Amino acid sequence: MQKVLGDFIHALRHAGLPISPAETLDALHAARLLGLSNPTSLKAGLGMTLAKSLPHQVQFERLFDQFFSINQEHLDEVDGNDRNTSIQTTTQKSSELVTEASSPSQRDHAEPVQSPLGIQLMSGDQANLQIVIASAAEGAGASQMQVFTQKSVVSYRIMQQLGEEQLNNEINKLTRDKENFELVEALRTKQQILRQQVRDYVEQQYLLFSKEKGEQLREDELQKITLSNIDQSDYQRMTRLVQKAAKQLASMHSRRRRITKRGLLDVRKTIAANAAYDGFLFHTKWKSTRIERPKVMVLCDVSGSVSRVSRFLLLFLYSLQDVLPRVRSFVFATDLVEVTDDFKKQDLEIAITSIMSKRANLPTDYGKALDDFKTLALKDIDPKTTVIMLGDARNNHADANSRVWQEVYQHSKRVLWLNPEGRFSWNSGDSIMSHYASYCSRVEHCSSLRDLTRILGSLLKHS
Amino acid sequence: MIIKHSDKIASPNIIKDSFQKLGYICSDDIATSIYLACQLQKPILIEGPPGVGKTELAKKTAQYLSAELIRMQCYEGLDEAKALYEWKYGKQLLYTQLLKDQLGDVLSGAKGLDESVSRLHQFGDIFYSEEFLEPRPLLQALRNEDGAVLLIDEIDKADQEFEAFLLELLSDYQVSIPEIGTVKAITKPIVILTSNNTRELGDALKRRCLHLYIPFPDPKLEQEIIAVQVPDINNDLRNQLVSFVNELRALSLKKVPAVSETIDWARALLLLNVHSLDHDWIKNTLNLLLKFQDDIEVVESEIYPLLKKIQQKTPKQKPGQA
Repeated sequence: MQKVLGDFIHALRHAGLPISPAETLDALHAARLLGLSNPTSLKAGLGMTLAKSLPHQVQFERLFDQFFSINQEHLDEVDGNDRNTSIQTTTQKSSELVTEASSPSQRDHAEPVQSPLGIQLMSGDQANLQIVIASAAEGAGASQMQVFTQKSVVSYRIMQQLGEEQLNNEINKLTRDKENFELVEALRTKQQILRQQVRDYVEQQYLLFSKEKGEQLREDELQKITLSNIDQSDYQRMTRLVQKAAKQLASMHSRRRRITKRGLLDVRKTIAANAAYDGFLFHTKWKSTRIERPKVMVLCDVSGSVSRVSRFLLLFLYSLQDVLPRVRSFVFATDLVEVTDDFKKQDLEIAITSIMSKRANLPTDYGKALDDFKTLALKDIDPKTTVIMLGDARNNHADANSRVWQEVYQHSKRVLWLNPEGRFSWNSGDSIMSHYASYCSRVEHCSSLRDLTRILGSLLKHS
Repeated sequence: MIIKHSDKIASPNIIKDSFQKLGYICSDDIATSIYLACQLQKPILIEGPPGVGKTELAKKTAQYLSAELIRMQCYEGLDEAKALYEWKYGKQLLYTQLLKDQLGDVLSGAKGLDESVSRLHQFGDIFYSEEFLEPRPLLQALRNEDGAVLLIDEIDKADQEFEAFLLELLSDYQVSIPEIGTVKAITKPIVILTSNNTRELGDALKRRCLHLYIPFPDPKLEQEIIAVQVPDINNDLRNQLVSFVNELRALSLKKVPAVSETIDWARALLLLNVHSLDHDWIKNTLNLLLKFQDDIEVVESEIYPLLKKIQQKTPKQKPGQA
């Protein structure tokens, strides 16, 4: 039982469920208490001990079904059941094989077969065959596959380990004799079935152990990749990654801030509260410090290549709701509009997509956009506000209007300018980065999720 | 406590059946979780939408095991003093005032400050002893000799520090009080935590608990629940209202009606002597199901199509009943 459960937990970990050794022990205890005879209660019990959130629960259920349909035999075995039950539960293909093998006429023919695999096949002992396949697969490295192209190689190796070569030789030998025609046919079909079984087995192993590994490689890659180059098909995955990173940041910073909440002893209030106790200070009153949450205004250029980075910046900021509840966001190409309410009303993904599709193809005009910003929000900027601008500062040779930016800089606490282009291309062509750069507290190159995490992390640290 | 009730918690099925007798219809998952919690002596963390019977489960468990239910409602700013223990300051003060004269006697004849202090030391920490300790829910649960069911309600509303503070209690059933030392549970209580998921709980807390998610029940289970809670309601109406509520859950509402709302609605319809759902009755009683004006407005326009939908479903069931 321990081995099967251990394998199962291994598979769960591969799928991204964080399962600690303590939980593994709990699961073992639970499985021991509930017994293995009742799959539904076992599933419930293991689910409770291993999957600790709803998404994990869903994943757990999927994997449980997958895993224990393969390992049914193992389960029955450890339960001390008769092996016959395992034969019943295996796939239909194998049940055909069993009935075939058990018919007496076939048994008579089985004698001339001498290769170990041949004997194995003709005996029709499915449970044993499964075990042999599993051990051969271990030798062939089935659980170490990383990409799907390895599947065929591994299948081949397993067949080799099972002794296919000898079987082939034998079949060739037997074919020469016409009397053995039936036997050869039977062996051939069984060989085919076995191949299929091995392929299935490898496929399942790949699903359980390796698909997620590939996923992990991919996620690591995505962290570093330039946001504007991300393929449409990776958006979903990327969105998840952004939210994950944001959650990490949020939990890190919400913790730090809570500790400072204790505050100072409020002497005046304490004395007043304890007047009744003859001046003995029993009840302490604390100066409740107001938790300072940074006010953030973010301006996003949504034209052309910048739009993709904007998308993730917005996503990131709104995933930080816990620690940054007061984000006001503005998007612009030519005109600048506030989109804070759109994000509140709709699902973020949908809102962003609709905004992007409306504005993405307009020409950028920073001068006009900054004017709009001035009328919309300049009065709300106070010394606690951080202003973040995301844009490439490519202004189509129009007026920079940097006076507005200077005002913003003077009124706010900090001004960050994130530029998705590399430093070497700033101020080249129609980029007018230098006009604005002097009125920024910091100018950063920001093109990947890593950059975003780093920059927003420092934003929270300073606030 | 566990030994006392070992026959009551012998298997998930026994638990399920007995809970049903107490008027709580539970799924296999719920029964298994209670079984495991009792057998493994682990806390259960229950999550799920509001109104699916999370708190009720704790109450029923206490009733079933004939143990005391100690309930602690969590909220932002909850701290040790309110959750675990507090010193009875008033009593301490009163005693010091009363004992002033005695103190004089004790200290009379002492030479110098050193001797006085050392004499005082002989009396130990009188003012910080059990007599001056005001136990709060957590300490009560630990000191209960027969064991108790400790319900920590809406743990997600409490601060993160409080969550960390609970860890010692949840894993070892003990707490440390600086002035007294470690208090260990006399009989391990059964701890049930509930969460509405307003914030993600820490991994450390989750790791120590069994995790149970109670979703909205499927229509069949919900019918059973209504049948037990509102026994006088007739079958047809029960079918109709359960399928109506299920249709509502499929709409995108601010807050979808939960089981408790279905029960309320069923009771109201019974009281109003309604035999079959129609447009007017639904419209007039909709405020029992939906708690936001926006939602009510959305649903009001949908009542006819929804009614049609459920009427299509119910005739199929009728031949079966006849």
